[in-house]
Amino acid sequence: MANDDREQPSGLSRRAFLGGTAGGAAALGILARDREAAAAPLKVVSGATPLALKVNGATRTVTVEPRATLARALRDELRLTGTKIGCDRGACGACTVHLDGVAALACTTLAIEVGDREVTTIEGLAPGGKLHVLQQAFVDNDAMQCGFCTPGMVMSCAALLAKTPKPDRATVRAACSGNLCRCGTYPKVFDAVMVASGQKPEGWPLEVRNVAPSAAPPPGTAWVGIAGGSVAAELRTIPENEAKPWPMNPGLAVVGKSTPRLDGKLKVTGEAKYTSDLQLPGMLHARRVVSPHAHAIVKRVDTGKAEKLAGVKATFVVKRQEGATLVDPSTEKSGTYPRIRYAGQCVAAVAATTEDLAEEAARLVEVEYEVLPATTSLEGAMKDGAPLVYPGRVNMGGSAGGGGAARDLAQRGNLRGPAQQSEGNVDAALAGAAMKVSGEFRTQVQTHSPMETHGIVADWRPDKLVVYASTQGTATVRDELAAVFDLPKARIEVKCDFMGGGFGAKFGAGHFGVVAVELSRRAKAPVRLVLDRREQHVAVGNRPSTLQQLTLAADRSGGLAAIDLVAHGTAGIGTGAGVGWAAARLYPTPAVRTRQYDVFTNAGPGAAFRAPGMPQGMFALDQLIDDLAEKLRVDPLDLRDRLDVDAPGGTATQPDRVARRLERRIGADKIGWSRRHANGAEKGPIKTGIGIGTSMWRRIVDMDSACEVRVAKDGSVQLRSSVMDIGTGTRTALAMVLAEDLGLRPEQIDVHIGDTRWPIGPASGGSKTLVGITPAVRQAAHEVKAKLFAAVGKKLGVDAKDLRARGGRVESEKEPAKHLVWRDACAAIATDELAAIASRPNDWGAPPSQGYGGVQFAQVQVDTETGVIRVLKVITMQECGRLINPLAVHSQINGGIIHGISWALFEDRCLDPQSGRVLNANLDTYKVLGARDVPFIEVVLLDQYVGLTNTDAHGIGEPANVPTAAAVANAVYNAIGVRVRELPMTPRTVLAALRGKGRV
Amino acid sequence: MKSFEWVQPESVAEATAALAHPGAMALAGGVDLLDRLKERVDAPSRLVSLRRLPLAEIVEADGETAIGARVTLAQIAADPKLARSHRILADAASHAATPQVRAMATLGGNLAQRPRCWYFRSEAFSCKKNGGATCFAHAGDNQLHAIFGNATCAATHPSTLATALVALGARVAIAGKASRTVDLHGFFLAPEKDLAREVDLAPGELITHVVVPKLPATVKTAYTKQVAKQSFDWPIVDVAVALRMDGGTCKEAKVVLGAVAPTPRRATEAERVLTGAAVDVITAGRAAKAAVTGATPLAHNDHKVAILEVVVARTILAAIGKAV
Repeated sequence: MANDDREQPSGLSRRAFLGGTAGGAAALGILARDREAAAAPLKVVSGATPLALKVNGATRTVTVEPRATLARALRDELRLTGTKIGCDRGACGACTVHLDGVAALACTTLAIEVGDREVTTIEGLAPGGKLHVLQQAFVDNDAMQCGFCTPGMVMSCAALLAKTPKPDRATVRAACSGNLCRCGTYPKVFDAVMVASGQKPEGWPLEVRNVAPSAAPPPGTAWVGIAGGSVAAELRTIPENEAKPWPMNPGLAVVGKSTPRLDGKLKVTGEAKYTSDLQLPGMLHARRVVSPHAHAIVKRVDTGKAEKLAGVKATFVVKRQEGATLVDPSTEKSGTYPRIRYAGQCVAAVAATTEDLAEEAARLVEVEYEVLPATTSLEGAMKDGAPLVYPGRVNMGGSAGGGGAARDLAQRGNLRGPAQQSEGNVDAALAGAAMKVSGEFRTQVQTHSPMETHGIVADWRPDKLVVYASTQGTATVRDELAAVFDLPKARIEVKCDFMGGGFGAKFGAGHFGVVAVELSRRAKAPVRLVLDRREQHVAVGNRPSTLQQLTLAADRSGGLAAIDLVAHGTAGIGTGAGVGWAAARLYPTPAVRTRQYDVFTNAGPGAAFRAPGMPQGMFALDQLIDDLAEKLRVDPLDLRDRLDVDAPGGTATQPDRVARRLERRIGADKIGWSRRHANGAEKGPIKTGIGIGTSMWRRIVDMDSACEVRVAKDGSVQLRSSVMDIGTGTRTALAMVLAEDLGLRPEQIDVHIGDTRWPIGPASGGSKTLVGITPAVRQAAHEVKAKLFAAVGKKLGVDAKDLRARGGRVESEKEPAKHLVWRDACAAIATDELAAIASRPNDWGAPPSQGYGGVQFAQVQVDTETGVIRVLKVITMQECGRLINPLAVHSQINGGIIHGISWALFEDRCLDPQSGRVLNANLDTYKVLGARDVPFIEVVLLDQYVGLTNTDAHGIGEPANVPTAAAVANAVYNAIGVRVRELPMTPRTVLAALRGKGRV
Repeated sequence: MKSFEWVQPESVAEATAALAHPGAMALAGGVDLLDRLKERVDAPSRLVSLRRLPLAEIVEADGETAIGARVTLAQIAADPKLARSHRILADAASHAATPQVRAMATLGGNLAQRPRCWYFRSEAFSCKKNGGATCFAHAGDNQLHAIFGNATCAATHPSTLATALVALGARVAIAGKASRTVDLHGFFLAPEKDLAREVDLAPGELITHVVVPKLPATVKTAYTKQVAKQSFDWPIVDVAVALRMDGGTCKEAKVVLGAVAPTPRRATEAERVLTGAAVDVITAGRAAKAAVTGATPLAHNDHKVAILEVVVARTILAAIGKAV
């Protein structure tokens, strides 16, 4: 113990010191180990200094300044890039390492402080190429999506298991509560930890309801139907040279079976390289100079001082305007430089040999502003006399996959629009309606907050431009750069092996991407520009805010007579703040009118964000439908059954409507709808409630969906496409589809994607990736098999038409004894390789409806005294076409729900009303849902076939996100009997609603 | 962040001497400091690493407990003796931040951390604390800000440990040219006293430890951190209560309010209501009402007043074993 006298050095000065401190034996104990000041002066460390670090069991020397964080030393000096930087402020956990076995944050630790400690990174968790039991459990349980948070998450969980070998559920959540996963993979992480600790997985329920026929449909037909509904073979005109429809999933060997992702090992070991991990020889680092003012004219930019700093290789003053484009540019006399329209807009940029130098150089760029009055709020911008964001009419193209708005709409002041849809006479229907319900709904600005911020490495070479981008669409980045730099597409290569989340914000090169390319061109060297967390919140997209006035009119029997929607929203300097098409299309109504306006404010531009507009629109519509049911005194589910039909008063035959009808009943049983209490009926301050939310999403077909399949003489198979894997498991899904057709296992396929040198694939967004690309994969497989079977048929002496690939061999369908195992079959190829490039075949007809549907039920608990809401349970029913990989679909649906709850309860970008600066551009006061806030989630998937393509695959990213906030809001109403019509539903908004104050 | 020099003293005396160097700042866990350096809110020319100082133990002797300044929040949260003797301190520590931060952040650093006000934390706003003339929260987005004592500066004190420690009657020991011990509550400086500092530490001074007196068995305590999000959230309010009871009657009360004022706030009116009273739902409610009397909420944070009242009442009841 510390108060052993013999251990204490003695000395007058020390005794004198102790005498003055808080007395007592306890205090003496604390100071007992203190010693005399040494006679020698302290060693002052200054500037770059060699430093010995004990990393993963070896001593490594790095030469760094005292200011170097451990994260930077590991990543930049030791190239241990498994340690990620997500926020660089200690709030996200992506940089978690072990210091002497304890989980700690490398971004918030100076490298110079850890010389005496053992540092373990993800690369050292299980040395020798083996996987730690936890890493294996992460792979097996699909405890990852984009994978960017995964190394940090694994390190936190590994530290837990080292201390607590058999943790209970609450302890697991607590241990993960410092690691944010924006994809929302927490349930699988919890399962992985339980499995790794030799316990039963928590058992997050996933129920897949299949349709029975396991045979191929009769020739000239395709299966059509839904699990729990009717199923039939319907006639289809299928071109002779195309791959034929599969049987339903029970008749398939690989597709429809849960398959751990093929790149899982790379993600759990930190070996997966993201854009921000890349270090090319001679690579420079870029920083941007941004305006602190929300509205200003740039009078002067002087890069002279920055250029004089040693190590600075290029500077660039921005010429291209961000945001929308003025129809008549002469309406604005901006002078030499683009007008500043939001705080955080890029003015200039620098490239230097290190990140620190680039930061210093950026601060040396002198900018003189003439500051103008700014408009920062939706309502403020709508007022007469508000400062104008744009002096005249503007247009703005949407980024691929969403955002943007119709061209050439009317514009008055800061109001642009309306984008209008109208059917029937709404005014007359409203005037004559037996009953009406209406409400005003508000939703907030949400930022995408992917764990990997936007980033690019641009390498302008004499013969071509090579770009590594954290993007959702390699081809869309290429196309934007081709246009901006007037380069042929053939001379641009865009690559993305792994990316840390996008959610709609990472389609194009972006303004920052163009800046990086320009710096590379000037410096004649590769340039890496990775935005910091602040820039990510401010400059590269968000889900716009909305203010919706919605009215429903009904006849006495509950038939809808009219829907009238007026929506205003602000995407800052961008367009596209609409609320989607829920009000216009979900429930067929004789008279419908929707008028949607963009309101410009001096704030960063919006972008496509997971089901653009739809969660906002559904938040309003689903609440009002519940209000209508209450007024009609009918059950809200019965009312929806009645309204969710092909035409007013008719029946439901369209697949999405059939699905939702089934799903409402499944969910009602599971949530206990029949026991639902009256709204606000529970006693006591803490009340629970249940509610329903509705999903709809369009089936989007991207015909830029091609791929190449190559089969080599040695039996190896590869698939190539520019499509990339955003974290949804595209890589694995493609291997599964190809493996199914070649009779192989998915791991026998090498999938090379995310490179524009390969056939064009769709951007990952709009839930359209698999809708587009899987039919092309099957077509390429079909074509390559024809070539292979010709060779094998000759060798086996059977008609090539009778051959099939199944169970790892090529065999005669009639005489299975005549066969070759796959490798021997490939040896029959005359040349070294067979290849086929296939474009996506056209759909086999028009889709029977606009999309596909799902339903969610939420159970919440509301503390009516503090206003705190907890979501206890979400049950989701979803159809998503033919299921390819249920394991990955499950993860994505969990993520959609978790995203939805996070938006409903926590997230809110806060702008300073005066200056327009974002106040919470971080991951602690910008609140993203964490491990302890994950409710119980149950998923029911219904196989649905529409017989439109050879796979009938759909996407699931958006539909799972559409209904969650609406379901939570309806559940809150059921709990407290008061409507909360504003997001996020924070203690502040809930208490205001309870006090009848309306909005805060 | 800007470049700086770094020294690592081996003794308290060396550390205090090093901290007297112009432009020097102390580096303990680094959680708060690195944040400020990266945001360029602070730009010290020299960091004094406290890592090799011996102040990392919790010692119980002679009826009091001394906690070294370098003891981490995780140590406090996990210490079995503290869990028995000063449970609310362990509660506050275990609810702070994230597991990783708790493993790094130290008691001294937690008490000396600077406000999390989003105006103060931004280089773009030259607020009063950063040498300017304006409190931007007053006319800005002040939903997270103070509801008491906010006329000069509306930042709240960010330490939740402080809330519990003040209720426990802690004293803080400071080493320096003249070493001294001060009552923890008085250690925190209101902005009217000093805008540039939140704690009574002069250049060349260092927190060495915090002393908490032993609580008699008759003292009942409770601590509540009210958050909106369960995984890592700053408190809307946090409240610590210590009641010396004689049967059902309160003989002496401490009610401390956190996250509502620039310093941890003693709710003296509430304490007066409780003292001498039988503690039940009604007195707890009266005390809670008294605790929010005189609040001066800003444009966007009157919800904090309502929530504070509820949490005070609940925490009083929790202290006497009547949890809601």
